[in-house]
Amino acid sequence: MPGNYGPLDDAHVFELYPDIQLSRDNIEHYRGLAQGRLLINRCHDCHHWIYPHRPMCPECWSWNVKPEEISGQGHIFMFTLLYQLRDPKSMIHEPVPVAAVELMEQKGLRYLSRIVDCAPEDITHDMPVRLTWLEEGDHLWPAFAPMPGSTG
Amino acid sequence: MGLNRHMDTIAVIGVGSTPYARDLQSSHLALGLEAAVNAIRDAGIDKQQVDGICGSGMTPLAQGGAGFLSLQGSLGIDRVTWGLNSWLGSAFVHGAGAVAAGLCDTMLVVQTYQREISMSRSAAADPYRQKLQQFIEVGSDIGGGDFAKRWLHSGEPYAAWMRRYMHDYGVNKDAFAYMAMNNRSHGSRNPAAAMQVPITLDDYHNSRMIWEPMQMLDMDVPVDCAEAHIITTAERARDLDVKPVYIHAMSLGGTRIGEFYENSLGWTENSHWAAAQGLWDRSEIRLPDVDVFYPYDGYTIDAVGCVEAVGYCQPGECGEFLKSSWDDAGNILKLNGKTQVTTHGGGLALGRAGGANFYSEAVRQLRGNEGARQVEGAKTALINIGSFFHDPSAVMLRAD
Repeated sequence: MPGNYGPLDDAHVFELYPDIQLSRDNIEHYRGLAQGRLLINRCHDCHHWIYPHRPMCPECWSWNVKPEEISGQGHIFMFTLLYQLRDPKSMIHEPVPVAAVELMEQKGLRYLSRIVDCAPEDITHDMPVRLTWLEEGDHLWPAFAPMPGSTG
Repeated sequence: MGLNRHMDTIAVIGVGSTPYARDLQSSHLALGLEAAVNAIRDAGIDKQQVDGICGSGMTPLAQGGAGFLSLQGSLGIDRVTWGLNSWLGSAFVHGAGAVAAGLCDTMLVVQTYQREISMSRSAAADPYRQKLQQFIEVGSDIGGGDFAKRWLHSGEPYAAWMRRYMHDYGVNKDAFAYMAMNNRSHGSRNPAAAMQVPITLDDYHNSRMIWEPMQMLDMDVPVDCAEAHIITTAERARDLDVKPVYIHAMSLGGTRIGEFYENSLGWTENSHWAAAQGLWDRSEIRLPDVDVFYPYDGYTIDAVGCVEAVGYCQPGECGEFLKSSWDDAGNILKLNGKTQVTTHGGGLALGRAGGANFYSEAVRQLRGNEGARQVEGAKTALINIGSFFHDPSAVMLRAD
C-alpha cells in the first residue's frame, strides 16, 4: 500500500539524495527507492501510470495521483552501450549498458536503467527483464536483469 | 494559406559568422559579439536600428554567455522592444516570429557554441572551460545522482534510436554513413570548416565507438564558434543595399515526450515530424521545388530523421534513398539527382553550432554569392534544425 513509508521522514530523504532536485512531486519516489521499492505515480481515477513524476494525470487531468509499486517486469525497448562517458576523465574498460525498460504495466511506460547479470553483447531489443537492486554505499538503486529463461 | 499570415513578408538581411576552431580562446560573449558585429555590418544597417535580440542559451539570465541582456549592453544598443534567449532550431524562428508579430522591426539573432569539457580531454583540462561548465550546471541535476535521470537532455538516446531504427526497419548503417560522407565532402570545399578531409565508407565504419552503435563520425565536431542573423520586414529589406532572402514559411514542433527522453514515442512521432507537418501546412513551395536542403546533423540520425520527416522517402528507407542519391563525380548527395544537402559541411565538418550555421549557409546560397561553392540557380532552401525531443524547426527560405 502506498503511504506507509515507516520512519523515513522528509528530512531523511533530503539527506539521502543531496544531488537530486527533490520536490513535492517526486519525493515519494525517492522515499520508495531508499526502501527498495520502485514507485511510479498512478492516477486513481482513470488508472493511468504517470512517469516521470508529475502531479496531474495527463489523460484525465485528475489530481488524485498516488505512487504505486510496480511489478518489476518489463522488456527492453531500446538501449545503447557506452564506450565513452560524458566525463572524459572517467575511464571505462568495458561498455556500460543503458536501457529504456518498458514496464509491463502500460505501453510506453519506460524507466531508464542499468542492465545487470547479462553480458553487454547479449542484450537485445524486446528482451524480457525484471527488477533487481544494486547496493552502492548507503543507497539501493534499481537495475534490471534478464528474466530467467530468456537469453542473457 | 490560412495558417501562414506572414508568407514572404519577413526577410533575412544580414549574416555574420566567427571562425570555427577547437580553441579560439574566447568567451561565449566575445564569440557572440564578433558574429553580431559581422551580421550588422553585412546588413549595412546602423546598430540602433536593432530593436529585438534573440540571444544564446537555455536560461533568460545566463551570465557569462551571449544572452540578450549581455548582447544589448555590450553592443551599445539603446532600446529594444523584444528580448529572449533560445537555441537549436527555435532561435531563428522565435526571432522571425517576433518581427512577423510586429513586436519589433529589426531582429538580431545570436547563437554561440563552445567545445565543452565533456567533449574532449584537452577541453576538460582548460580552466576557463571548467569554470564555464561549473556555472552552466547550477540549478540542474541532469546526469547527477540518479541513473534514471541520465536521459534528461542527453545525446545517448540518439544512439539507442539508431539501434532501434536499424532493428525495426531491418537496415544497416548506410543512411548514417552516406550523410556523414556528404557533409565531410562539402566540408573539404569550405575553407572555414574544422574538418577539411573527406571520409570514405571505411573511415566511417572504422571510427571510434562512442555510444554503440553511434561512432565518432556520427557526431558533430565540437568547436568554438558563433553565428548571427539580422531579420526584418520584406518592406524594409527592399530599401537596403542587400539581396533579401525571404522566409516563405516556418514551423516549430513538439510532442508529448516530455523531458525524460526514454519516453520517446515511435520513430515517426518525434518532434521533427511535428515541425515538418507544421511547415507543409504553411508552405506553397513543396518538396520537389527545394533546391538546397539543410537537415541538422548534431548526430547523423538527426539528419536521417529530417530526411524522412519532410518526406523525401518513407520511414526506414533513408539508407537506400541516400545510396541511390549518391553522386560519384562530386562525392556528395544529390537527392533525386538534383537537391544538394548541407553544402557547407554542417556540424560534422564545419563544426557544432546547434544548427545556426545551416541558416547562415542557406541564406548565403540563396544570395548567390558563395563563389566556388555556389549551387547554381539556388532559389529555395529547406532547413530542419533541432532535437528529436525539443526545439525543432522547419523553415522554407526563398529568393527572387
